[in-house]
Amino acid sequence: MANRVLAIFTTAADAMGATEELRRQGFASGSVALLSSEPIHGEIEKGLDGKRSRIGIFAIAGGVIGAMAAVGLTAVTSRSMNLVTGGMPIVAPWAFGIIVFEMTALGAIVSTLGRMVFEARLFRRALPEECDSAIADGKAVVVVDAGDEDRVGAAQEVLTRRGAEVL
Amino acid sequence: MAPDWFGPQTQTIGGYGKSMNSQELTFSDQPSDAAINGDLLRPVMKTGRGWIITVVVSGLVFLAGILAFAYQVSRGIGVWGLNRPVYWAFDITNFVFWIGISHAGTLISAILRVTGAEWRRPVTRCAEAITVFALMIGAMFPIVHLGKPWLFYWLAPYPNERGLWPNYRSPLLWDFFAINAYLLGSVIYLYLPLIPDLALVRARSRGLRRKIYGLLSLGWQGTQLQWARLEKAVQIMAVIIIPVAVSVHTIVSWDFAMAIQPMWHSTIFGPYFVAGAIFSGIAALILAMAIIRKVFHLEEYLRPLHFNNLGLLLLTMSMIWFYFTFAEYLTTWYGNEPSEKAIFQSKVSGPYSPMFWGMVVCCFAIPMPILAFKRLRTIAGTVIASICIVAGMWMERFLIIVPTLAHPRLSFNWGSYKPTWVEVVLLVGTFGYFVLLYAVFTKLFPIVAVWEYKEGRGPAPPGATQHKLKLPKTATATGD
Repeated sequence: MANRVLAIFTTAADAMGATEELRRQGFASGSVALLSSEPIHGEIEKGLDGKRSRIGIFAIAGGVIGAMAAVGLTAVTSRSMNLVTGGMPIVAPWAFGIIVFEMTALGAIVSTLGRMVFEARLFRRALPEECDSAIADGKAVVVVDAGDEDRVGAAQEVLTRRGAEVL
Repeated sequence: MAPDWFGPQTQTIGGYGKSMNSQELTFSDQPSDAAINGDLLRPVMKTGRGWIITVVVSGLVFLAGILAFAYQVSRGIGVWGLNRPVYWAFDITNFVFWIGISHAGTLISAILRVTGAEWRRPVTRCAEAITVFALMIGAMFPIVHLGKPWLFYWLAPYPNERGLWPNYRSPLLWDFFAINAYLLGSVIYLYLPLIPDLALVRARSRGLRRKIYGLLSLGWQGTQLQWARLEKAVQIMAVIIIPVAVSVHTIVSWDFAMAIQPMWHSTIFGPYFVAGAIFSGIAALILAMAIIRKVFHLEEYLRPLHFNNLGLLLLTMSMIWFYFTFAEYLTTWYGNEPSEKAIFQSKVSGPYSPMFWGMVVCCFAIPMPILAFKRLRTIAGTVIASICIVAGMWMERFLIIVPTLAHPRLSFNWGSYKPTWVEVVLLVGTFGYFVLLYAVFTKLFPIVAVWEYKEGRGPAPPGATQHKLKLPKTATATGD
């Protein structure tokens, strides 16, 4: 994005104040991001992303898919052979249930990871090295995707007034 | 004045903070991010002499194991002490033992996360790494045991040239699914909270190293959205992984319990094995933490309080283990069924009695008093107890497997077992392998979760949730 403003704050508290002011000035929640080296809980969480996480739902869906795959693998392959072992039925729910359980968990685990990577918007454009270093040193970075040129000036004004080093 | 974050009285951390009387702590003085980064990233950024010594020694031990394995492959498994009727011995004992050790990490870490135990923060990654490496070693032994390890892929669920699939009713195939699910889940559970710390290392690296850590950190930036999603995913993973961990050792126990063999065909084998696994796992975790603490000078992060709390867990598990063992042996003795009684006698007063009583001493008689008394529950005390427990639990695994096989129901067929040097060196080699893997991990990745540690120190910025550490009254470890 061309009109992106980056600002480094010494403390997360200052960055939070600037973020809130930017929002009050009409910047959309999705266009202002606060980056830090540790999670900040509380009010900040409400404004930064309007969407609810669907990781839990995906975990359940992944579990169901894993279970269905396990049922298919065990039941279909056993039926294709029709070989009795240990006096057990060809499709033995007690024994196959264990494999179904493990594959349910596996499906849930893999889909949790996949959905988390998607929702967290990983693999996006890298930050400039100085921002990366600043975050590592415990500073906070505010990233504003300002849209048009006028908004860039407004964002820079707020960030500078709040004590940021605007890049 | 000396600082104190996680424990109230006399400890210090990083030269910050102050003594507090309250059991609910908030923090005003705290080490800077730079200080924490410096301490916790030091093992990754700099190579110390302690690390080199650890790698060389463990590497040599591992090499000895490799040579023993190569000898076994070239000569066949006749070089082991296995014989009729003892077809399983050291290799399967090692399998059960290492799978048990793997319960240290992911399970304990997940339980502590789910219950919100604040003191877990410096401990979790040490524990999770143990799981991954112990599982790798444990899962290796069924392959070693095959005799022709290059045919290991026959274990995987795929049809052979005649279109026959593996028998899913076999507990050995349950193992395949359970161990692989747990291994994959544990790797992901280790990796997820590692991502922000990988970004931290990326920020401090240059050139190729920066590129590699950039890839590994998946382009992590630290937006609040990313933090929120990461924490959510870790929470969900913690909930999923607990039943998987329990299932793994339960299924390992069913390798034995599903057979109608005396002293194997027991309904309590599942929970008995799980309890033993957690027991030996915590002991291994304490040992790993003590070594890391010393080698990387992390005394301010892995503190007496953590050893004290893990020591209390170990004490609880010691009592649970004793309860299960007593219940198992009492019912055998009282039932007086001849085939079971023969095995019972061989353990309690026969050829295996030194090992049996050694197990009781190592798993109960020595650790109990050390862990029960607060004055003895120091770092040194918990380490001594843990060494005994790890040794005792290996003996326990051996005693479950070998005496039963040596005493089949028909007495004309009884046999005995003596290990050969190949088996002993293979066993010792696995310890070298484990330490080597762990040492390499600590060189590549921060062994204490940096962001989790920072998150736990509070106070948060205005408008954000204040982190408070609620401590149990017992969590008052003294300085080391």
